[in-house]
Amino acid sequence: MSMQIATELSDQIARYLDLSTAEAKLTAANMANVDTPGYRTMGLDFEAEMRGALDDVDRGRGPRKVRVTEVDGLIARPDGNNVSVDRESLNLAEAQLRFRTGVALLREEYQRVMDAIHADK
Amino acid sequence: MNLFGMMDTSGGAMEAERMRAEVVAANMANAETTRTANGGPYHRQEVVFAANRGDPNFLDSMTEASGASPLSTSPGINKPALPGQAAVAPGVRISAVVEDPSPPLKRYDPGHPDAGPDGYVSYPDINPLTEMVDLMGATRAYGLNGAAVQAEKGMITSALEIAKS
Repeated sequence: MSMQIATELSDQIARYLDLSTAEAKLTAANMANVDTPGYRTMGLDFEAEMRGALDDVDRGRGPRKVRVTEVDGLIARPDGNNVSVDRESLNLAEAQLRFRTGVALLREEYQRVMDAIHADK
Repeated sequence: MNLFGMMDTSGGAMEAERMRAEVVAANMANAETTRTANGGPYHRQEVVFAANRGDPNFLDSMTEASGASPLSTSPGINKPALPGQAAVAPGVRISAVVEDPSPPLKRYDPGHPDAGPDGYVSYPDINPLTEMVDLMGATRAYGLNGAAVQAEKGMITSALEIAKS
């Protein structure tokens, strides 16, 4: 039997954390450009990316590049900027919660491994 | 993925917004200034924001394995955020502080030392309303980015908890 510290679940959670970081980063960039004329809101499809990342973990592939796209359906101001403060605030809160969830899950998973290590005590 | 890069983005935006507020303050302070180093009355200043290219690492990680930007390879779905710029998580910077070219306001005051031969004094064309609206915008945007920094700090703090048992 082989010894494994990094489990499949911990790999999956790592991808999840990567994605929520990317999401938060994009949100921060959108917020930074709230007053830049002509700037268009950038976003990513979290569910699609996560599905792809889980597939990658299954097949033992490394992390893939995240697809960043322009967000449709936002109302642009006369200066061409279409950053919505409400949308960004909401996205940031969501990314933050996702990240915290991921951290909690990862802690749990590592704790399981620790428990196995200390099982003789 | 680098969490601290986010702080740079938001911090840079806070810096830019503060600069904008400073320019507004300068405009309001000089609303009645008739003498400047360049001669003539003060002219209203305005900041110009431009999106940054974003940090190269992020650009890398957000780019398809083919080496080409995902935003340029599939037109239709993905359009570049700004023409001629990498459409990747850019921060913001102040590209210029420009002078409002509008002509000065003329006020009749022949006793004023800066009055012209016709008795009119040139005053800066500064509208307190415009300035206050701009100041409010800067304050709100500053607060928004401050909230983002707070959120990022929370994420980094929680990431540190992974190591604790």
